Amino acid sequence: MTTKKRSTKKRQPTKKAAAAKKSPAKRSPKAAFAVATNEKKTSAERAKAFVEAPLATIQSDETAQASLNVLRDREQPIKVRLAALQSLQAASFSVIEFEPYREDYLATLREIVDDKDEELRQRVLGILAREKDGYVQKRLLEGLQDSSKALVPPEKALQLLSYDVHAEAYPVAREIVNDPPSPEAKREALRLLSADANSAPVFEKLLRDKEEDRDVRQISAVALQTVKPKRFQEQARELVLDEKEYDDIQATALTGLAQFGDEKAVAKDQKLMKRAEELGKAKSAKVKKTAKRFLTRYGTEK
Amino acid sequence: MNVEIQINNSPNANARFVTWAPAPCRIRITNPAGAQGQGSPPIRISARTSTNGGALVFRRGTTGAFATTLSLNVPVNGNWVSFFTAGQFGRPSVSLNDVQIQARHGNGNQVIGSTPCTVRIRKNANNLTPAERDRFIAAFAQLNNQGLGRFADFRDMHTNVSSPQAHGRPGFLPWHRAYLLDLERELQAIDPSVALHYWRFDRPSPNIFTREYLGESDNLGTVFFSGTNPLQFWVTDGVPGITRRPFFDTSQATGVRTEAQTLALGTTFTNFRTMEGNPHGNAHTSFGGSISSIGTAARDPLFFLLHCNVDRLWAKWQQQNNRFNPATAASFEEVAANPPGHRLADTMWPWNGITTPPRPPTAPGGTLAPSPVVAAPGLSPRVRDSLDFQGKVSAAACMGFDYDDVPFS
Amino acid sequence: MVELTEDSFREHVEQLASDPSQLLDLLRENHPLYDQRGAATVVRMRGWVMLTLARTTLTDDALPFVIEDLDTGVDAYLVAAAAAALRSYPTPGSAFAPFVVRAITNIRYRDERLSLETYGGFAIGTKGTSPVRELLTTLRWLGPHARVVVSEIESLQTGPTALSKKYHADIEQILKTIRAETGVEADDCCRLPDSVRDLFSWMRIPGTNSSSITSTIFEDQDGHTITFGDYFHRRPSIVVFFYTRCDNPLKCSLTITKLARIQKLLDSEGLSDQINTAGITYDPGFDLPERLQNYGRHRGIHFAPQHRLLRSQDGLDKLRKHFQLGVNFIESLVNRHRIELYLLDAKGQTAGYFGRIQWNEQDVVDRVKEILKENETPANNSASSRFRVASPFLGTAVALGLALFPKCPFCWAAYLSLFGIAGLESIPYSPWLQPVLAIMLLLNLTSVWFRSRATSRMIPFYLVTAGALTIIAAKAFAGPTAAGFIGVFLTLAGSVWSTLSTSSLNRRPMKEGMKKVPIDLIQE
Repeated sequence: MTTKKRSTKKRQPTKKAAAAKKSPAKRSPKAAFAVATNEKKTSAERAKAFVEAPLATIQSDETAQASLNVLRDREQPIKVRLAALQSLQAASFSVIEFEPYREDYLATLREIVDDKDEELRQRVLGILAREKDGYVQKRLLEGLQDSSKALVPPEKALQLLSYDVHAEAYPVAREIVNDPPSPEAKREALRLLSADANSAPVFEKLLRDKEEDRDVRQISAVALQTVKPKRFQEQARELVLDEKEYDDIQATALTGLAQFGDEKAVAKDQKLMKRAEELGKAKSAKVKKTAKRFLTRYGTEK
Repeated sequence: MNVEIQINNSPNANARFVTWAPAPCRIRITNPAGAQGQGSPPIRISARTSTNGGALVFRRGTTGAFATTLSLNVPVNGNWVSFFTAGQFGRPSVSLNDVQIQARHGNGNQVIGSTPCTVRIRKNANNLTPAERDRFIAAFAQLNNQGLGRFADFRDMHTNVSSPQAHGRPGFLPWHRAYLLDLERELQAIDPSVALHYWRFDRPSPNIFTREYLGESDNLGTVFFSGTNPLQFWVTDGVPGITRRPFFDTSQATGVRTEAQTLALGTTFTNFRTMEGNPHGNAHTSFGGSISSIGTAARDPLFFLLHCNVDRLWAKWQQQNNRFNPATAASFEEVAANPPGHRLADTMWPWNGITTPPRPPTAPGGTLAPSPVVAAPGLSPRVRDSLDFQGKVSAAACMGFDYDDVPFS
Repeated sequence: MVELTEDSFREHVEQLASDPSQLLDLLRENHPLYDQRGAATVVRMRGWVMLTLARTTLTDDALPFVIEDLDTGVDAYLVAAAAAALRSYPTPGSAFAPFVVRAITNIRYRDERLSLETYGGFAIGTKGTSPVRELLTTLRWLGPHARVVVSEIESLQTGPTALSKKYHADIEQILKTIRAETGVEADDCCRLPDSVRDLFSWMRIPGTNSSSITSTIFEDQDGHTITFGDYFHRRPSIVVFFYTRCDNPLKCSLTITKLARIQKLLDSEGLSDQINTAGITYDPGFDLPERLQNYGRHRGIHFAPQHRLLRSQDGLDKLRKHFQLGVNFIESLVNRHRIELYLLDAKGQTAGYFGRIQWNEQDVVDRVKEILKENETPANNSASSRFRVASPFLGTAVALGLALFPKCPFCWAAYLSLFGIAGLESIPYSPWLQPVLAIMLLLNLTSVWFRSRATSRMIPFYLVTAGALTIIAAKAFAGPTAAGFIGVFLTLAGSVWSTLSTSSLNRRPMKEGMKKVPIDLIQE
């Protein structure tokens, strides 16, 4: 028996296949979900299918479980797992429809907080941190206290802890400000401390320290304005009057004064107004712009 | 001769705003000098536009074509004569009062009366002029007022507790439309030249994600602003700053469902509203950070631009399929078994002030902000009041906003 | 604060497991063990205490904490623990049902898997329970007592607010039980057991002296300063505590919203100028005037000289101590607080308290009106207090008069001359005085009897009775003898003791659980 020779001519795709390839979005959510959970498809196809129809993940108990299974399965391609996560998180915005699955979803997220993939870990921790999840707060704090238990870098841990001002991250944040493992960690520690009114002296000191990083000084300015607005206004005035101050910081100071200054007090402050007029002709575009805005508010510029 | 022109039939400067929808106007002769004995001399109305500014069109009555000029016979006795104006589609204003309605006597050149006007339109936020952008973010920053301003109410309207009022059921789109309108009116109370612009998430919007605008994110998701940007003082929940970590290259599109795909979801509201998942949900979850969780999303100002685009898509879908009339079944998905707030006749929290279950325990913000321009949708709108936003079914339903790429007709 | 890890805390709780009263003390928000703990940590700690308490029979004293978390809890673990703990109470009652249903409404969109077997409640994977599940189990425990909320339970099964399908079988079971057992004696709908009801009631607590905080300086929402004395020492006040960063919408945000409603009620009754309202922030460092202004205004607060939001410029310690505030802190942030509303009289003394669960605005207004009425009748008050002071002596004088009443006109003249009262020799003998004095003695006896009943101290009455009987016996048999004087002495002792008992009751310090004036709990 001879074997029929396989044609070497390239097979033309059917019209249906061509149409599907051209506009995959036209396939039904059910069809998209079938692709998403089909392990025979490529990661790219599956990931794309997952995010195509997020609501398909919660179409039924079965689809929800299938999606969660993909998410929690550490053997699945990471691209697909991330897409499943994105899809489920998008579906979570449909609160009423998502209600039956929230319990399983959060439990699954907790299961994978220590996943080997850093990106997945960060996203999962972020979602749970925004829910003010006590379990995640505990793990993040443990990681800050003992780096061998850290799930994410300290700056990320601090950022995630700052979603809940009632978390007990303040002592460790203070330690990090005093002895930062990285500039980013110091920055995030300061951001976290801005919820604590008692930290005002720290912000004041950093704001006036010309040796400090610009971002740190800017965060300090904002934090001081939040917790001690009068003090910030006083400091901002000094910063504007200081001829040796950096442009960025002067711009921030002028913006703060323009936005939140006491109209009567500032308008009467001739020294400040005169300085603002000088800065309105400054070389620095940033300073010039904020000075003009300042002067517009306080009347001398139209 | 002199004439007085009123836009929206009001002498107030804060009523001199129009969109693409017809706005009622009126004109009268205040000083008939030079026209005595003429009865009702002809007055020619036209618009004078500044460079790149808004443009207007006119018509006499509630129907008929619009034109760039209009001739009216206006009695010398001072009685009002009504007419309509609208923004010329594609020519929105770029600054306050950058277009003037001018009146001339007959074919004369002398202007005998004029009134400034602004064609105030929600635009693609990526395409604003620097001045428009700066006014927009300045108004936003002032609304926030380092956590002390009215913005706190808008943040409190969109939390985990309140989310069932506005998500997962047909009320999603109507509720958010009212929500955005309420916020926009508060912005306009600060700076009337401002509209709430949209983030076109299916297209690259590199200008938005800069330090001069809605901030630039580092790898951590911390958003940085320039020293000139008032949003650097943004505070929500007592904490300064914004966390937003894009999962896409912000010089490119997000990769969510495109506008064309969204509009093709179906011609019934039931089908269309699945866009709540994609592109809406996907737009949210194209980031890490506050905007990607429902309880914290409203902490990020980008949230409002995101939803403005969602609303624009709905507006466009309505326009394409003529879905403005609540009485048309396909305009909405009316299901009696839906929870309160998701049926046409339901009032919407928080504007209804109802705080007994199943509504949330408090109603932040009070009633919906009124407008000096239009009366709709009222202080405590119903779901159905959100549909006819251009006043196509009933002129009185016009809500006073429009999108730069969604015409009136 | 004693440094105690959570593991050590868990062990400490285990050690106290057999001593409910000590465990109960751990549920005080202001317990030092909660100081400088994060809110999530406090949730874990409290939840574990509650679950440990529930291993044995839940006592009446523990009920307020359980019901509080059902009423306003938004933390899944605590709500689940409260639901489970309630099932350890000896007898289900219909009054619990509305709280359980309310808790389902509060927590359903925050449902999450947790474990009540382990400290902290973290559940990973598929095993565990959830607050909604626990609440439904508690409804099942209530059985036919849940009948009072049957329509709410039905709406959890069908209709726009139905729970997800996975709970429908449980709900069906609950409804079947309710419908099946019609023979169960209907307890008084919506009333907690008598022994518990009063724990929540408005407590009339007169006389807590405010001298320690009279000079505390407050700053109001406009930046004006005023002392406690100047603000609170002129008229009765309604005082709530709150802070602007409270993330439980059922607590501070709602409290201030309701305070605004109270203002409206006062206004409608023409009482705005006669009664102060005040919200005092737990977070004076952060809640600066502009923040107070905006927070109040956004919630409908009407600001006026008698209606303010206040922050203490002197810190919170004195206020914490004086009011025994139910609050604790992590740094300057509150980590847990109870709902607390105080009624002060015109002297700034605490006269009443609503705590833990949602209070009803009209109830608060009604109570403060009573205080106002009392404060508005100073003449009556002075007269009554004078009477209270004078009565033992009056009673004694009457007793003395009766004991010494002469048997004859000549004795009368002798008495008068003995006392050398000029001109009294001429007062004729008045035998009618004796029965009058006897009647007055009986009246004194009756008065002492009522006071003794009110104070639950009967000894003064026994003394006065003995005194009266001794005098009467002495008169009947022996005339003015030592027995008569003994009778007078007994009357004096009993009368004075009775007056002192009443005064000391008024000065008893506020204590949770003090039973005073029971009111209906359910405020629907």
